[in-house]
Amino acid sequence: MAETPLPMVELQGVSKSFARRLFVQNRSFALRGIDITIGRGEVVGILGESGSGKSTVANIVTCLTGYDGGIYRFKGRDIASFTRRERFAFKSDVQIVFQDPYGSLNPRATVRASVMESLLLHRRDLDKAGRMERADLLLEEVGIPASAGDRYPHEFSGGQRQRIAIARAIAVEPELLVCDEPLSSLDVSIQAQILELFVRMIRERALTIVFISHDVNVVRLICDRVYVMNQGAVVESGPARDVLSNPKNEYTARLLDAVY
Amino acid sequence: MTETLSSAAAPSSQSEAPLLEIRDAAVALKSGNRTMVSGVSLSVMPREVFGIVGESGSGKTLLTRTLLGLQDDAYVAAGSVRFDGRDIPAQGYAASARKLLGHSIGFVPQDPFSSLNPSMKIGKQITEAIHLAKGWPMGAEKTREAAIRLIGEVGIPEPALAFDQYPDQFSGGMRQRIVFAIALSQDPKLLVADEPTTALDAITQRRVIELILDRSRSHGLAVILISHNLELLRQSVGRIAVLYGGQLHTIVDAGDIGTRTVHPYAEALFACIPTREKELADIRSIPGEPVGAGFGLTGCAFSTRCAYAEPVCRSAPLPLNERLAPRFSACILGRGA
Amino acid sequence: MSVFAKLWSYPKTNIERVALVLVLAIILVAIIGPFIAPFDPLKIAFRSKLQAPSLAHWLGTDGSGRDVLSRLLHGAQLTLSATMLVLVVVVAIGCAIGIFSAFIGGAIDNMLMRLTDIWLGFPPLILALGFASALGASLSAAIWALIFSWWPNYARLSRMVTSDILSQKFIASADALGVPTHRKVFHYVIPNALDVLVVQVALDVSAVMLAISGLSFIGVGAQIPAPEWGAMIADGRSYVANGWWIVLAPGLAIFLTAVSFNVVGDMLRRELDPTSRRR
Repeated sequence: MAETPLPMVELQGVSKSFARRLFVQNRSFALRGIDITIGRGEVVGILGESGSGKSTVANIVTCLTGYDGGIYRFKGRDIASFTRRERFAFKSDVQIVFQDPYGSLNPRATVRASVMESLLLHRRDLDKAGRMERADLLLEEVGIPASAGDRYPHEFSGGQRQRIAIARAIAVEPELLVCDEPLSSLDVSIQAQILELFVRMIRERALTIVFISHDVNVVRLICDRVYVMNQGAVVESGPARDVLSNPKNEYTARLLDAVY
Repeated sequence: MTETLSSAAAPSSQSEAPLLEIRDAAVALKSGNRTMVSGVSLSVMPREVFGIVGESGSGKTLLTRTLLGLQDDAYVAAGSVRFDGRDIPAQGYAASARKLLGHSIGFVPQDPFSSLNPSMKIGKQITEAIHLAKGWPMGAEKTREAAIRLIGEVGIPEPALAFDQYPDQFSGGMRQRIVFAIALSQDPKLLVADEPTTALDAITQRRVIELILDRSRSHGLAVILISHNLELLRQSVGRIAVLYGGQLHTIVDAGDIGTRTVHPYAEALFACIPTREKELADIRSIPGEPVGAGFGLTGCAFSTRCAYAEPVCRSAPLPLNERLAPRFSACILGRGA
Repeated sequence: MSVFAKLWSYPKTNIERVALVLVLAIILVAIIGPFIAPFDPLKIAFRSKLQAPSLAHWLGTDGSGRDVLSRLLHGAQLTLSATMLVLVVVVAIGCAIGIFSAFIGGAIDNMLMRLTDIWLGFPPLILALGFASALGASLSAAIWALIFSWWPNYARLSRMVTSDILSQKFIASADALGVPTHRKVFHYVIPNALDVLVVQVALDVSAVMLAISGLSFIGVGAQIPAPEWGAMIADGRSYVANGWWIVLAPGLAIFLTAVSFNVVGDMLRRELDPTSRRR
C-alpha cells in the first residue's frame, strides 16, 4: 500500500478473543488478525454490522483494551514498548467519542468542568482561568453556548451531550479522533447536525479520524478510505467511494444491496 | 448499484371502501390527562402498504399502540376509528380493539427479543395463536401442519425442525420472522409493524421488510409500517403519514418525497438523511431540538424549526384532514398541498 | 440556606414533613442539649426523688432524684454522638475497602468480598458481649463492637455501587483521557455514589442508635448513671409502677428518633434516586 512514509496507526495481524463467561452477555466481539493502516490526515471509515468487531477496533486503537496477538504501531512505535509517561502522552494524541451520549459524561460534573478536566490533565501550562477560557471557546466551537457551561449533563438533550463529548475529546488537541458510532443513538434530524459538525471539524482542524459506523451512506460521504468488517475480520478495504460503489467482496456487495 | 423499485401498490381504486378510517383521533395519558397526540385523520385502503414516519417523541408508537388497545397508560381521548366497515365503540375501546387484534389485525412490535415467550417452543406459540384466532375448528395435527406451513412461509429454514425449538435458538432476524408468523396465524386483513427492524442489522432488515411486502402482495394483506427511517419507507410503501410533536403534518405519496415540493417537515426530514444518491452538499440538518409529543402549543409543532415559518404558524390551529383525503398537508401556508 | 430549601422540597406527605422537622430538631438538641439542660444530669438529690412532671422538673425526676429532662438532653448528645461516631468510622472503613475492592477486581476483590460475607455472619450481640467481657462493659465497648460488626455492610454496598459506576461509559471516556485513579475515586466514583450512601446512613442512624441503646439496656453498653437513653430505660425499669415517666421519656425519644430517621431515609432514597431524575 502506498501510504505516507510513517502512518499514524498500523495494526498488523491484531487479534483478540473474549473469554466466554456463563450467563454474562459479552457485548464485545473478537478480532481475527486484522491489518489496518491509517495515514496522517486521513478520514478512515470502519464499516460493519453489530458483532463485526468494529467497536473492539476502536477500543484497541485508543488503548482502552488490550489485544492478544499482532502488533499495534502508533507513529511507527510499538505500543507495547511505551513507558508510563509515553502512555499518558498517547492519551492526548488519541481521543474517542462514544455512541451513547447519555452515559459518556460524568453526571456529577458540570459540562464546563468536564471539558476543563481534559485541559487540566494535558495542558499543564494553563492556569484555571486559562482552562476556563479554553473550555468556553471549545463549547462555543461545538455549538453549546458558554453560558450553559455551569449546567449538568442531564439538563442537555442527546445531541447537545454528543457535542459536549466532542468538545471534551478535542480539548486536548488530539491528532487522532476515533468516533465509535457517534450518530446512531441520535434522532434523525440531530444526526444531520452532528454530521455537519464532524464535516466542519474535518475541514478546520488537522485531524485524523477513524469513523466507526454501520451506516454505509455516512461512511461514503465523509471517509477517504474504508475497511469493511464482518465477523471479526476485514473483508475489503480501499477508497470509500470505490469500495462502496464497486464492491469486490461478496459480503460488501450484500451489505450494499441491503442498505436503503 | 442496484436500485429496488418502489414496491408498494398504489392506493386502490376510489370506489372501494377503506379498510381503516381514523377520524380526528387524540391520545392522552391516563395520569394527568395530558394529550400527547391529537388531530390524526387518515384512511388505509385494503391491500395498501402505508407508512407512518416520525422521530422519537413524535407520538407514532403511542398512537399506534393506543389505537390497538395495547397501551395501558393511555387512552383514546377523542375521535373515532372504523375498521373493515365497523366502528370500534368508544365505550370499552381498548378491549374492543384488542379483540380485533386477535382476529383481523396482526401486530409486530419493535423488539424481537422480548415479544416471544422464551420458555415455550415456537411451534406451540404459533399453534396457540391459531387456536385463539379460530377457536378449535381443526384437529391438533392440522393445526401443526398449518403452523409448520406458516413457519416455512416466513422464510425460516427447516420449518418442521424449528417447530420444536425455543426462541433463544434463533437470531434476532429469525425471531422477528417468528413474531411475524404469529401475527399472520390469524390470517389478518391488516398487519401493523412498529419499527420491526430497528434492532436488526441491515441485511436482515432488508429481508424482513421484503418478507412483509411479499406477503402483502401475495395475500392482499394491508400493512401499516411504522418507522423513524424515512428512506426505508420511501422505498417500501405507497403513502406516508408524517407525525411530529404529536400532530399529523402530512400524508404524502412516497414517490413525491425528494422529487416534488412536499410539506416543509417532510422535506426537511428527508434533507437530513444520507441516502445512496445524495452528496454531502445535499444534506441539510434541521436546526434546534425536536419537539416532543404533548408540548401543548396550539399551532404547528414544527413552526419553531421550520424554514418557512411565519408568525401565524405558531398561533393558528393546525388544519385537520377532516375528509380523510388520501393526500394531505397540514401546512397553513399551503406548502405541499 | 439553599441546602435547607432543597431539603424542604423533598417531603411529599405531612408525615415526612414532621419527620424531617423532628430529625433537624433532634440534631439541634444533640448539639445544644447540654447547654440548655436546667440541671446537672448526674447530681443525686434523694430528697426530690421520683417526683412526677412539674413546673420545676418538666419530665419529673428519677429514682435518685436526677432531673429526667436534663438527662434526656445530655443523653441526646451522648447517644447521637456515639451513633455518629460508629457510622463515620464504619462508612470510612467500609467504603475504603469496598472502593478498593471494586477498583482492584479479580482474586483480591473476590477474597475481600468473601471475607465480608463471613464477617456478616457474626451476630453483633455476641460480639458486643465478647467486647464487654474483654474491655469491661462500657459505652466504648459497645461502640467498638458495633464498628467491628457493621463495616462489612458498607464494604458490600460501596463495592457494588463502585463497580456499577466503573462499568459506565463515562469511566471509559475518563480512561481515554488518562484520568489517574485517585482522581477517578474522588471526582467520579464518590460523587456518583454519594446519594446511595447518604440514604443508607440515614436509615442506619436509627438502626445503630437502637443497637447502642439496646446494648446499654442489657448492661453491656453505657453504664448507669450515664444519661444514655438505653441505660436510662434500664435504670427506670424498677420504678415503672411509681415513676412511669422515667422510662417513658427516653423510650419515646428513642422511638421518635428511630422512626423519623427511618422516614427521612426512605424519603431521601426516593428523592435522590437517579432514575427519577433522569427523565
